[in-house]
Amino acid sequence: MSNKIVKKYSREEIERIISICENIEKRGLDPFSVDVKELLFKLRKMLGENPDLEYYLLDAETIYRIATIIALQHKWLTEKAKSLFIDSQLISSRLTILDKKSIVQAFLKAWRPIISISQLTPQRLHYGLEHFLRLPPRRDERKYGWKFTDRELELSKIYLEKEREEIEEKMKNLYSELIERAKEKDGVDYWEFISKPSINETYDRAYILSFLISEGYVEVKKNPLKNELRLIPNNQKVPRRNTTSLVISLAGGAR
Amino acid sequence: MSSEERISRKLMIAATMLFFKSHRSPGVRGWELKNRLGKNYMKVLELLNHKLNDLGLQIKTVFEDESNQDLDRARFYITLTHSLTMSDLVTSDYRIDEVAALAIALSLIFSRGGKTSLRDVLEVLETKFPKWKAETYIERAIRRGYINKTEDDILTVGWRTRVELDQRELLKAILEAQPQQEKKTEKEIQEEKQE
Repeated sequence: MSNKIVKKYSREEIERIISICENIEKRGLDPFSVDVKELLFKLRKMLGENPDLEYYLLDAETIYRIATIIALQHKWLTEKAKSLFIDSQLISSRLTILDKKSIVQAFLKAWRPIISISQLTPQRLHYGLEHFLRLPPRRDERKYGWKFTDRELELSKIYLEKEREEIEEKMKNLYSELIERAKEKDGVDYWEFISKPSINETYDRAYILSFLISEGYVEVKKNPLKNELRLIPNNQKVPRRNTTSLVISLAGGAR
Repeated sequence: MSSEERISRKLMIAATMLFFKSHRSPGVRGWELKNRLGKNYMKVLELLNHKLNDLGLQIKTVFEDESNQDLDRARFYITLTHSLTMSDLVTSDYRIDEVAALAIALSLIFSRGGKTSLRDVLEVLETKFPKWKAETYIERAIRRGYINKTEDDILTVGWRTRVELDQRELLKAILEAQPQQEKKTEKEIQEEKQE
């Protein structure tokens, strides 16, 4: 009977060690808060008292957890060295004392934000509006925040519709021109096709052409050896299965 | 095409790829640059970096695995070379309160070995902001990629922090900072009124 109690006690003790190790690993607590040497000593003692398979299995798991703690201690030391061994309690108390403005000023000293450019085409804007209008209404009418009036909705629809029609018209014209120029030829050189005396016109043609390519009306063939891009018009729209992006720097190639 | 023209064209392609966001998040992988610029893409980037430095910008390389510095799998970004001022921040997309909350959260994460619980961060944040605001700012930092949150509510450093922030510099600046008398800017007063 007393042997059983000892066994139960030992098992609970091992499970407690496992749970402590798990907790440190999951919650990111200080891995030096446990005494690894003492844990190993206890484990050896318990295993000596209970030499059966069940304990061997528990022992293996505990050893694995302790090994993880040692790895975390290594990582913790590396991170501490990186942060000049600054105590976390010291940082917490400094942050509590400091006002918001001083904290921001300190942050700005270490902050080098990423610079990037995002772009939005009228077509994407149109998709966005369509998506917005398709959203289910809230239970009651919106009582706060920005709300479209019927007039604004109507105007934005008219504006986007006009934009879409203009782009479609330009696409149609450019497509016919490309078909005409590609007749009896193996495609047209990209730069020859888009280049116009006015830089604005050149950019406009490249922009409209990108829609024709994305929609599947025109194919682009790239010859890296000759550094050449050729446009081959399709007789009709070809659905795209695998799409890939192609960056063309106009400033680098415009003549 | 002369070699000068070829280099100039490659520089323009590299700049376009690095500046324009072609994925959900900014930055370009090494292999993408290699595909477009050729195997000597690092030389092109070095040249571009030199030109960007004159404008106060730089190319930053962030390795997927610091121990194995594989350039093809690394991500390349363009960042500022100098720090922003308070007036730059006022005119930016960020609110001062939001940046303060971000600074607090990241300082705590850094000082605790790169990992800390959301509860501990909120505890410090609530000394400065109401609870709902503190939670909103943490959510926003997670969305922007500065912080990662696990299922067990543990906060770790996000991808954007690895690119934009100097860990040592931040902790040093926090320790050196002197508290000031809080003077509200016009923008802050307006924001508070709106809330």
